[in-house]
Formats: sequence, C-alpha cells, structure tokens
Amino acid sequence: MYPFPKLSVIVPFYNEEDSIEPMYAAIVRAVTPLQISFEMVFVDDGSRDSTVLRGEEIARRDARVRIVKFRRNYGQTAAMAAGIQCASGEILVTMDGDLQNDPADIEQFLEKIAEGYDMVVGWRHQRQDKLISRKIPSMIANRLISRVTGVRITDNGCSLKAFRRSLIRSIPLYSEMHRFIPAMASIAGPRIAELKVRHHARQFGKSKYGLARVYKVLLDLMVIKTVTSFTARPLVWFTLLCLPLTLIGLVTLVGGLLAAIPAGGRLSLPLTGSGVIFLSAAIILMASGTLGELIYKLGDVRPDDFARLTMRLVASHESRE
Amino acid sequence: MTMSKSAVQVSVIVYVGARRTSLEALYPEYKSGLAGLGVPYELIFVLDGPQPGYEQSLARLVADGEPITVISLTRYFGEATAIMVGFEYAGGSVILTLPAYLQVEGSEISALYSTLATADVVVSYREPRATRWFESLRRAAFHGLLRFVTRLQFRDLGCNARAMRRKVLEEIHLYGDQQRFLPVLAERQGFRVAEIAVRQSKGDRHDHTYPPRNYLRGFLDIFTVFFLVRFTKRPLRFFGMIGVATFTVGILELLYLVIARIWFSSPLADRPALLLASLLIVLGVQIFALGLLGELIIFTHGGGSKDYQVDRVIHYPDAAPASVKSPSAANPVIVA
Repeated sequence: MYPFPKLSVIVPFYNEEDSIEPMYAAIVRAVTPLQISFEMVFVDDGSRDSTVLRGEEIARRDARVRIVKFRRNYGQTAAMAAGIQCASGEILVTMDGDLQNDPADIEQFLEKIAEGYDMVVGWRHQRQDKLISRKIPSMIANRLISRVTGVRITDNGCSLKAFRRSLIRSIPLYSEMHRFIPAMASIAGPRIAELKVRHHARQFGKSKYGLARVYKVLLDLMVIKTVTSFTARPLVWFTLLCLPLTLIGLVTLVGGLLAAIPAGGRLSLPLTGSGVIFLSAAIILMASGTLGELIYKLGDVRPDDFARLTMRLVASHESRE
Repeated sequence: MTMSKSAVQVSVIVYVGARRTSLEALYPEYKSGLAGLGVPYELIFVLDGPQPGYEQSLARLVADGEPITVISLTRYFGEATAIMVGFEYAGGSVILTLPAYLQVEGSEISALYSTLATADVVVSYREPRATRWFESLRRAAFHGLLRFVTRLQFRDLGCNARAMRRKVLEEIHLYGDQQRFLPVLAERQGFRVAEIAVRQSKGDRHDHTYPPRNYLRGFLDIFTVFFLVRFTKRPLRFFGMIGVATFTVGILELLYLVIARIWFSSPLADRPALLLASLLIVLGVQIFALGLLGELIIFTHGGGSKDYQVDRVIHYPDAAPASVKSPSAANPVIVA
C-alpha cells in the first residue's frame, strides 16, 4: 500500500507511567489498519516512576515494541535522538508520550511522505494548553524561528513529525534542539509539509516546560543560524557580525580625527581610542571567522552529503535503472 | 604473575606519586585486605616518574610470585593519566584504586568491593578523621563549592580508595588531576555513585600544610569540572551568558553617556568612561563569538559523541503481537 516497507513510531517517555499503556494501545489501533509493518520505539528518559516496568510488560507481549532505557534523565532531544538511532524503519514518526498527540494522525503523515515529502511537521491548530505561559511564548518563538532560519513552520514545538530515516539520521541532534529539527534539517533542503493535527489536553502527569526557556531558545537559535549559515556561505556570518563594529569604529575614529582640526591638533583620546577599539574588535571577529572556516573545513560535516540526501535525479541521458 | 589474566576479577591500580610509604608497610596491609575478598585479584603499580628504589622493591615482590604488574612512566604525568595507563593492563571486571600510602585501613577494601552490588562507583570518606581545624575548614570549603557548582554532595574526594565497575573507566576518559572528580563525572554519565565511611589508617594521621598554589589549583579544578559537566555540549550557554552580560553593561554605560551628552550637555568626547563602555561592548561581542566558535566545533566534530547513555534496550523478539484487540489482529503484520 505504501512505497516503503517499514514504519517506526518513536515516543519518548519521562515519568509517564499512566500514559504508556494507553499510548501503546492507541498507536496499535491507529497503525494496524494501515497494512504496513511497523515497530514502536519507546524511550524512557530516566523516569523515576514505574514507566520502565510497564513498558517492559508491553515489550514482553509485543515483539514490535522496543524500550530504550536511559541511565538518567537527558531531556527530550536526547530521547528522540536515541529513538531515531535505534529505529529500523524507513519512515520514522516521532510523538510525545503524554497523549497530547493523537496516533490517529499518523495515517495522513504517511500519505504526505508517500506523496514525496521528506519531512512532515505537525501543527497543533487548536492547541489545548494554557494561553499565557504556553501558547503566547510559543507563538513568539515560532515567528522568530521562521524569520531567522527562513524555514516557514507554524508550530516548531509539535513533537508529531514524520521523516525519511536517511534524512533525520544525518541531522545532528544535540542540546535541546528538537524544536529546531525542521530548521536544522533545512541544511539538507528537504521538502517539508505541514499538517494540522489533533491536540488533546493533558490527561496524566504534569507539563515539563516552563517560561525559563526563552533564553535557551534564543541562544539555540543563534547556534542554528551559525551552523546552517556556515554550510551555505562560510565566513559570511562572522563578517555580518563585524559590519556594525567596523561602522561604529570608523565613524568614531574619523569623528575624533576631524574634531582635532578645530582644536588645533589636540586629539580627543576617549573618542579616537573608542574608534580604535571597535575597529580592532572587527578585525579579531574577522579572524575568528577564518578560524571558524578552518574548523568547519577540518570537521566531518560536508554540505554535499546533505545535498545528495534530498536530491532527485530529474532527467538523465543514460538510464540508471 | 602466578594468576592468568582471564581468572582475575579485581584489578587494583596503585598510583605511586610523590607521597608513598614503604612497600614493607603497605603491601601486607593491602594483601590481607584483598585476600578477604575471596576472589582472584591483581595489583598494578603505576610509578609516575622514575622511582628506582620503589621499582626494585616491587620487582622483588614480583619475583616472590605476587600478582603484581609494575608500570613506570618516564616523567610526571599526573594521577588521572597514570590510572588510565594502568587501566590498560587491568583484566578484572572490578577496578579498585588505592593510594601508595596508608590512607585507609586495608580491611576496608572488602566494604568498598561489596558496596558495588548496588552501585557502579563506590567512593569513601575517612571517618572518624584525625585532622586539624584548618584542614577541615579547607575541606568543607572545597566540597561546599563543588556542591554549589555541581549540585552533588561528596564528603571526601581526597580519599583515593575507590571501587568501580570496569565500564566506568571505559567510558570516562580522565586526564590531568581529574581523578579526584571521577565520581562527579561518573554521576554525570548516569552511573550510580555510592559513598561509604571507611576507617582512616594510622599512617595517614600526620600534619601537612598545603602551599597556596594548591588552593588555587583546587579552585581551577572545580571551574574545569563545572565547565565539563555543564557546558561542554553547549559552549554558547556559557560564553553567551558572560558575553551578553558584559555587552549589556557596556551598552547601558554608553546610553548613560549619550543621554548625559544630549540633555545635560556634558561633553562626550573627553570622558574616559567612553573608553570603558566601548571596551565592554567589544569584549561582550568577542566572548559571544568565542561561544559561537565553540558551537561550531561541536557541530562539525561532535558527530561521534552522544549526548546520552543508554542503560539497556528491552526487546523480546519472540513475543506475539496479538494481545491487543484490533481490527486486523487475526493476521497482523509481524515484524522480525
């Protein structure tokens, strides 16, 4: 029915002892009618309740379930990354373990992938969360992320996503970057589709997020911008950083020198000094840029790998089949 | 060596540095303690820098048929490096580290070993402890600072008698003086760390004062561990914080100067404060850029290192996937 042999559903759990069993049942209920072979990878992110025990019970009676148990809590991004590493399917679907995502949506995700998209991202259009502490910060963050990264995604925070394995495996996932997967994946230029998904209010447990993430999101955004810009145009990013410094430095220095003419050649030390400081900073930044270029060159990230990942052979005079 | 490598279960790595007691006093103590374990063991002495006298007395013990391996380093490399070198020769599934001087009583070795049943790393603290008030103050300050920085409470990281499972040293690569912080790093990797009380050896009760250099080094060590534990995977969180703070102070000062110039017409160009403001702004930007460079290093070179440690994967390939009632449960598509 679908042009790929196997589907992996990856669900991270952290202290979700009440959710794991209903989640499992819901996935099985949703995916079995699709007539596709599938597996479930449940990642236990160092839960301190009985999540693992209940997961093990499920695995004991269903060979399609794999539990990846972490030694301690490492966060959702790490859990997703581990699940992705462990999954054997060609298509990977990730979702939250708190029952807020609905496995019934998997079907339309698969259809989109079958249409030729490399990545499908969920959009919780009727989000069941608190307005002030969750929805508004998230809205601002999403606007900011799409503006800075140029990847137009309405809802970066939605965990329900589907990918081709080859794509997601090559995207470095670290720190708390799961909300930046589409942005990060933009290095490879994938065809991304967005789908409206159902979103339920939390039934069990409590939310693990807070407002304190703003600073982290902002910094991560800077990181994403840096690393993705480097694949396209190395050195440009640091050069952009030093432009304002050069400008300020030049203006101050020239101003200080000009001011010395009516004063009979007496230089104003603070003014010219500031100019020199700003200019030298610009030079050092430029030097950092070249250093960055060197690091990048010696590293193991190659832009052409990403290009090859999502390219399609449109036409060729020799037939390759 | 009398015992074959494969039979060895416990490998004891003894670091022989500047502080050491004579083998005549040390070895019988350890030997009786190790004999109490009732399992085959070996001792690996790592001499950090040439120590011909000690080497000779060790050679005599080897000639007597004691299960000893002796490794001598050409110069001083530091305790952590020496232990990692010794570990290469260790065949046991359990690794003990013991100092080359009488620090704890040999009979406590079995307590260290048996606590491994419920932990991956066992560290010890000397209790009761004979010490001077100034030393205990220094120790309290050190461990308090460490606790503040890492949120982990340890009582005596200066006590070198430790036991750990083999996989701990396989995963954690120590260098320099880091062996003191092994439990911190192990905890960070998700290992279970236990701390037990051991009796202090009589030979350990002596007065020694440390030069100020040691205090500075201890402080720097804590800083290193702080960075290693919290920020190695995300340098921008660290540099960004400092950079943004410096930048903000600089910008605020500049704003104040500009406002003073416009509304109170105090001359801007002749105020040395302008120099300070520009320096702070520039410094902030540069520190931030350093963080970005760090992130770039992680991004391009961190491909092999994982952010997480998997304890185990639970999978029963023979389980039948038919226990959930679903429309096509009669002929489910079974995954190998």
